[in-house]
Amino acid sequence: MATTTDDLPARHSLGKSMKRKEDPRFIRGKGRYLDDIVLPHMLYLALVHSPYPHARIKSIDKSKALALPGVKAVITGEDLDAAKLEWLPTFHGYDKQMVLAFGKALYQYQEVAGVVATSREIASDGAELVEVEYEPLDPLVTPFQAREDKIILRDDRESKTNHIYHWEVGDKAKAEGELDGSAVRIKERILSPRCHPAPLEPCGVLADMNKATGRLTVYMTSQAPHVHRTAFSLVTGIPEDKIHVISPDVGGGFGNKVPVYPGYVVATVASVIIGVPVKWVESRTENLTTTGFARDYHMDVEIGATKEGKVTALKVSTVADHGAFDAAADPRKYPAGMFGIVTGSYDFPTAFAEVDAYFTNKAPGGIAYRCSFRVTEASFAIERGMDILARKLDMDPVELRRRNFIKKEQFPYPSPLGFVYDSGDYEATTQKALDIIGYDELRKEQAEKRKSGELMGIGVSTFTEIVGAGPGKHFDILGIKMFDSAEIRIHPTGSGIVRAGTRHQGQGHETTWAQIVAEELGLDPQELLVEEGDTDTAPYGLGTYASRSTPVAGGALALAARRIREKGKKIAAHLLEASENDVEWKDYKFNLKGVPGKSVTMKEVAFAAYTNPPPDSEPGLEATYYYDPPNLTFPNGSYIAVVDVDRETGAVIVRRFLAVDDCGVVINPMIVEGQIHGGLTEGFAMAFMQEIAFDESGNNLNTNFTEYLVPTALETPHWETANTVTPSPHHPIGAKGVGESPNVGSPQAFVNAVMDALAPLGITHIDMPLTREKVWRAIRDAEAKVS
Amino acid sequence: MKIAVTVNGERYERDVEPRTLLAYFLREDLGLTGTHVGCDSSSCGCCVVAMDGDRAVKSCTMFAVQADGHEITTVEGLEQGGKLHPLQQAFWDQHGLQCGYCTPGMLMTSYVLLKHQPAPNEAEIREAIAGNLCRCTGYQNIVKAIQQASTELAAEPAAAAVGS
Amino acid sequence: MNLEWNGQETIPASKATVWEFINDPAKIASCLPEVRETKISDAHAFDATVGVAVGPVRGKFTFKIVLEPDAGGSHMDMKINGGGLGSVIDLVAGADLVAQDDTTTVLNWKGTASMRGPVATVGGRVLDTQARRVIEMTFENVKKRLSGGSA
Repeated sequence: MATTTDDLPARHSLGKSMKRKEDPRFIRGKGRYLDDIVLPHMLYLALVHSPYPHARIKSIDKSKALALPGVKAVITGEDLDAAKLEWLPTFHGYDKQMVLAFGKALYQYQEVAGVVATSREIASDGAELVEVEYEPLDPLVTPFQAREDKIILRDDRESKTNHIYHWEVGDKAKAEGELDGSAVRIKERILSPRCHPAPLEPCGVLADMNKATGRLTVYMTSQAPHVHRTAFSLVTGIPEDKIHVISPDVGGGFGNKVPVYPGYVVATVASVIIGVPVKWVESRTENLTTTGFARDYHMDVEIGATKEGKVTALKVSTVADHGAFDAAADPRKYPAGMFGIVTGSYDFPTAFAEVDAYFTNKAPGGIAYRCSFRVTEASFAIERGMDILARKLDMDPVELRRRNFIKKEQFPYPSPLGFVYDSGDYEATTQKALDIIGYDELRKEQAEKRKSGELMGIGVSTFTEIVGAGPGKHFDILGIKMFDSAEIRIHPTGSGIVRAGTRHQGQGHETTWAQIVAEELGLDPQELLVEEGDTDTAPYGLGTYASRSTPVAGGALALAARRIREKGKKIAAHLLEASENDVEWKDYKFNLKGVPGKSVTMKEVAFAAYTNPPPDSEPGLEATYYYDPPNLTFPNGSYIAVVDVDRETGAVIVRRFLAVDDCGVVINPMIVEGQIHGGLTEGFAMAFMQEIAFDESGNNLNTNFTEYLVPTALETPHWETANTVTPSPHHPIGAKGVGESPNVGSPQAFVNAVMDALAPLGITHIDMPLTREKVWRAIRDAEAKVS
Repeated sequence: MKIAVTVNGERYERDVEPRTLLAYFLREDLGLTGTHVGCDSSSCGCCVVAMDGDRAVKSCTMFAVQADGHEITTVEGLEQGGKLHPLQQAFWDQHGLQCGYCTPGMLMTSYVLLKHQPAPNEAEIREAIAGNLCRCTGYQNIVKAIQQASTELAAEPAAAAVGS
Repeated sequence: MNLEWNGQETIPASKATVWEFINDPAKIASCLPEVRETKISDAHAFDATVGVAVGPVRGKFTFKIVLEPDAGGSHMDMKINGGGLGSVIDLVAGADLVAQDDTTTVLNWKGTASMRGPVATVGGRVLDTQARRVIEMTFENVKKRLSGGSA
């Protein structure tokens, strides 16, 4: 079933490494990002933050700030409460979130007040002059402290507990019974630490209330402009037709630009009150300390197996740290997102997963960072678990995986936790990876090195992702079904404009969307302009995150194009003076069946649509499609990392890293490879350097790029990539999505490789990030035990 | 304070507040928004511009008044006579950018690198751009792009000089 | 983040003189290093604005300082609370006076501090030595002033 891209039939525009159409403006410094937009009479907002993770707010004195020349307004939670704008709904609708701290501050750096002034400097000066009197309270720094319920965080909630929800899937009794009866059994607590997506462009907004027209234009760094328009309407009561959201060029998102943040609301409120545009652009510290974090799952992973290495049962119990508000943008039915993918690529006869989430005195968030709703955590848990099991069985980790892979003939495969995997050929993808990297040779080299005490490790991750939400019957945001949309207008001369409900942040939609439509219509992708991000012009869509653009909007684009083709066929029949039944679309043009050489192109059809439409037909050539996918898509991959660990310093050198991905049909190989390079670099960062950590008093210890590290070109390994193609059977063009695979699939490959290197010392697991210090300490402790 | 700065070959005389950062002077006073700001700790390099043609400076770490009497080249100054600079062309050819936010700083750092080292090897390139963060590309295609530009510039040395 | 320090100064003055000195907000305020402005609010309290440079955290911090002398005339707690630039510092400096002879007094001091905000996170690595230095300099200045020198 799996093939390489080389085997695919020649295409018109699909599968080609076309250079990106968006690049000419970016390489000239002519991108238009949020902070580049300047409007007349614009004011600036700066926010005041709580230094305490948990404190009662006794008083706020605005007077000194208001006395500063240039300060136009100071807004507090009390002001917002009076205007009934103090609370925001969270995306899945089970909780609400304070806009500005009101009564209590619930996490360090929480927004307490906003100062609006004539320049960004005066706004900052004004924020310094706002005097807030706090009564510090003991903070809840871990979910384990929170679960004792000795301190209750949320006074505003009826139930006086820090427990947010319990969610479970699978058969608990059966899974536990099987585990008890298993010949071999492992159990490990595995942390997927709190980290942050940190796109290079910080989040921001420019709200422009036009009192003459009554229309509010909101420029914002948004991955989901339509959802944001609806959310703004629901929160402010302004009718949705009076709100215009524009997401200009977005400098990276990785999930960080999905939620609505307090700064957006305060700037908008200020613009509505004052009647002039108000801009807010966060600082890097504000970005890292207050906006959507990722992960923070403490997972107890248990796997049972036979002596021969056939898995019998899986149980994963998770304690989740959600911060002060339950703002994870998970679909209503799935509070723990798609954590049910935790059985991974393996045919578990039975499985059970549960998640208990708690409030703590930390910033809210919880799904972001290039991850489709908790898939990164799940994938990390199962891939680490399989490695630990392999070690216990004294079996090669690849061999253990192969004995348990879901076979290609088992697809569509219903997993014990309720998903139906669409397609895959895990054996073929893995074999390709082993061949390219020279797995057997590496194992031989490792055996030699171990004799002399050198620490070399090989780590594998044979993961399965789950992306492309919808289908709408299961997935929603704010109750809105997770479909997506496309609109295509073909102009008389055969060029056109393509719009979608998604919003790219570097993924290359301006190129790949043109390629999809060009492929369907036989047109030139260079002549198809792609536009996204403007709610006045784009069809309603749910946005770009969770690797859903290609699986959902990509489907909508192909199907909208096919609608154009249907209409085009009528026009072609008219031009060919034939019956529609005698016309067929083949070789990217309309052909008269059985009459070679008698054909018309889409360009000719487009011209006729405006100049010579068939009698009694509607002129013009355009189509819209709202696509609700029948299922999710399940990209997979086999990744192999080769590392050398320095026994003396704990330093890890990633010698090689190979990613073999299967994301179904590839639209643009160059862009797919670029996505994989970027995702692997983020996976590398999570594995070795990134964590948002807190000290025992609740101080955030990673508040800027000198403490929260982003890999530079120096540390970043050289990436090797390859692919197999197993089309998604239900997707209109067989594509599955790829943006998040490398991020979901790679952290465990790195960690497995380091643990494999440390195996001779008896070290089974170290939680990420595997900093030099942590690895060194583990080696030192292990050596002390031996001697 | 009154300053005179030559930016992309054009001389500007402006009265600036002493604490105005060069990055905001370029972006807000001169409208050259290609120079970006991505952090508050001088870590990300989105704001890198070339000073006097041969020094890469982080314009968020310099006051506008410190640029008085100097020549600044920003990303907007790379294209000459409607022809992309070989670095710009190479970043496009090699898919050396995704979201585009780090790109201007990355281009200007590379521009200064190639002035000092016309034929850098991969390790030298990686070291030279280590002060410029990119969250999207994983740097591999950026390295390839700089290598391509280096080859092209060697073939036509005149293209290396900009704004001087 | 919680920090602790201690130290000792031998001051060439009688215990009563030292005691009187450290009970006077105006005199203590003049011994704090980097003070830009002080405002005496009552017999045992004053506000001080000081220049702070801890790593990248640079600017003005405003503190409320309260002197809490024990009745015995030997022990004094100085409570310092305040901050700036989004940071908060709570510091208690305790001083114990022991008369060595009529003209020499030993001042043992102990400081504990808790910090929140950027000063704790960004400046965490340099804060310990800097805060210790501030307290050391304060008591060094007390000694200098009582030795006849000017602080």
